[in-house]
Amino acid sequence: MNILIKSATIIDPKSEFHNTTQDILVEKGIISQIGQHLKNPKKYQEITFENLHISQGWFDSSVCFGEPGFEERETIKNGLKTAAVSGFTTVAMNANTHPVIDSNSDIAFVQSKAQNHSVTLLAIGALTRESKGEDLAELYDMKNAGAIAFYDYKKPIANPNLMKLALQYTSNFDGLVCSFPQDNKITGLGVMNENITSTSLGLKGNPNLSEELQVSRDLFLLEYTQGKLHIPTISTAGSVSLIREAKKKKLDVTCSVAIHNLFFTDDIITDFNTAYKVLPPLRTQEDVDALIEGVKDGTIDMVTSDHNPIDIELKKVEFDHAAYGTIGLESAFGALQSLFTLKKTIDILTKGKARFGIEQSTINIGNALNVTLFNPDIKYTFSTKDIISKSKNAIFENQALKGKAYGIISNGQLFLN
Amino acid sequence: MSELSVNHLLGIKYLNKQDIQLIFETADHFKEVINRPIKKVPSLRDITIANLFFENSTRTRLSFELAEKRLSADVINFSSAQSSVKKGETLIDTVNNILSMKVDMVVMRHPNPGAGVFLSKHVKASIVNAGDGAHEHPTQALLDSYSIREKYGEVKGKKIVIVGDILHSRVALSNIFALQLQGAQVMVCGPKTLIPKYIDKLGVKVETNLRTALNWCDVANMLRVQNERMDISYFPSTREYTQQFGVNKELLDSLDKEITIMHPGPINRGVEITSDVADSKQSIILEQVQNGVAIRMAVIYLLASKIKQ
Repeated sequence: MNILIKSATIIDPKSEFHNTTQDILVEKGIISQIGQHLKNPKKYQEITFENLHISQGWFDSSVCFGEPGFEERETIKNGLKTAAVSGFTTVAMNANTHPVIDSNSDIAFVQSKAQNHSVTLLAIGALTRESKGEDLAELYDMKNAGAIAFYDYKKPIANPNLMKLALQYTSNFDGLVCSFPQDNKITGLGVMNENITSTSLGLKGNPNLSEELQVSRDLFLLEYTQGKLHIPTISTAGSVSLIREAKKKKLDVTCSVAIHNLFFTDDIITDFNTAYKVLPPLRTQEDVDALIEGVKDGTIDMVTSDHNPIDIELKKVEFDHAAYGTIGLESAFGALQSLFTLKKTIDILTKGKARFGIEQSTINIGNALNVTLFNPDIKYTFSTKDIISKSKNAIFENQALKGKAYGIISNGQLFLN
Repeated sequence: MSELSVNHLLGIKYLNKQDIQLIFETADHFKEVINRPIKKVPSLRDITIANLFFENSTRTRLSFELAEKRLSADVINFSSAQSSVKKGETLIDTVNNILSMKVDMVVMRHPNPGAGVFLSKHVKASIVNAGDGAHEHPTQALLDSYSIREKYGEVKGKKIVIVGDILHSRVALSNIFALQLQGAQVMVCGPKTLIPKYIDKLGVKVETNLRTALNWCDVANMLRVQNERMDISYFPSTREYTQQFGVNKELLDSLDKEITIMHPGPINRGVEITSDVADSKQSIILEQVQNGVAIRMAVIYLLASKIKQ
């Protein structure tokens, strides 16, 4: 791939060209020159866009693509296209497929479907067989096949001894265990945050207590085992405090938060709109404030779209019966920029990789190009026409967002919207 | 003002004070009608109403059906204890199938909160919520307030305690909204396991001692324990529940003042109230039932008049 990127503002604190507007000459996929007014004697394809910005390629630590088994929700092919259009060069795909991704051949299947694509798909294997929470899956085998972490998507491990064993067992081969923060017995039949809104709607509440009990339990287990734990999608102020304290104790723990849990509060569910039915549920302003503070001070290591396409048949039903989840890749950048500065947004979108053992490539001469091209200043109202996903369950529909991707350059390929 | 501000009756929270006033004034008229020798008016001869009950009900269904027939509406009934989802058909499809037979209004009871709200957004008919899970039961709250108004002249300034299973009760929630809208003070009383943790944010008092609650109130609305909605035992035994939250004659007679006893039915005699309390002169339980027909006639009449416009 030979291209010349014209007048791009580089947002990459690790690059010596950070915060400057430059031309970037790429030859055979490697950055050969960065400078002002570069010549193009070999007539390479030129990339020019209004207000073009460029950063390291974006990463999302939690997406669902439905394949195999739920292709009516999303396929890997269209899921990767959605990621590319949205500016993501790397995504970690959850194991909530049918069958569940719980063996090395399942990992291989998923990877084969993503071969030769500009977006890198990383597979997360299930922690337990069929994600049933009973017996550990073949974690070592899956790790060797390329699994970057082990997670029963949104299914808490109820048995604390099983979680203890998982943390101990994976430490032999540096495996990363993920634990969904929810105590199912406390949650019971709860379908939204327990508060005044759930009370006035007569909907069963899922209290903060449910999440914080599980986080506390897992942190005790982590301290005992000295393993390696990632807690995906926390949602309460109490969880932020617990993890902050655990990090002070030097426990090997990271966590993430879903963008919608930073953006919305539970009082938006006034008329039983199932677009807002997500797990963990939307909480209160107090929680949102603590989560944003957690992102700013580094207690929360990564922010994810928690992209989960759900077909309309599972959403256009009574609130109790509706499936949890929202798509989020398409709106991720625009939503983050509504909450954080550009610098912080790019930091959030690029820093999670290290936890999963993935190398980062800075924008410097001699490095391979793995970048996202974007305009941070476009303001728009997110609508169905912005949705690439097969399913249209977008929590951000009708929200005012700021910033859009132009495309990505990754895996030696150029993908422009 | 002579019409409702809403096209559906989905819950008390969607009504305003004037709506309630209008419903009560209309019910006054219909109460007079149903006490005549000929208890029927021809008002809704051109209206067809479907009563869809996705959850067991006897008195509410009968009360609605009677109200509809006294207004001369054509009535069809559909009862299924199973929710439509369990049968594989969506709620929207079930209702649209019935509506395609040219039905103007749907009276629906459903086990899921918000089912009426959901339906109102997706089908073309006027919806009356006859109870949706633990959300609302607006006609019950209206008839309860109407009965208090009948007994005391007005609801404003009265103190009402709702006793029992508040957590699983749509009657409690609708009553709280209706009573507050009319300027009454509301208290809830029951075991802590059956009181929503954040109910005080709705502006109600919370009390766990029944005697204290009864001494405070003018009216006690005694709720039934909704065992069918419980996923776990919220108290050890009915016997123990009754010891703490059952009203018997001895307790009633020992209070500082004569309070009024209400109950939305069906009564578990000997559990939340004893027979001698249910049948005492302080009880207005049967008046509630009679007022239920007048209130439902008023609601249906007022909503139907909006359809005709």
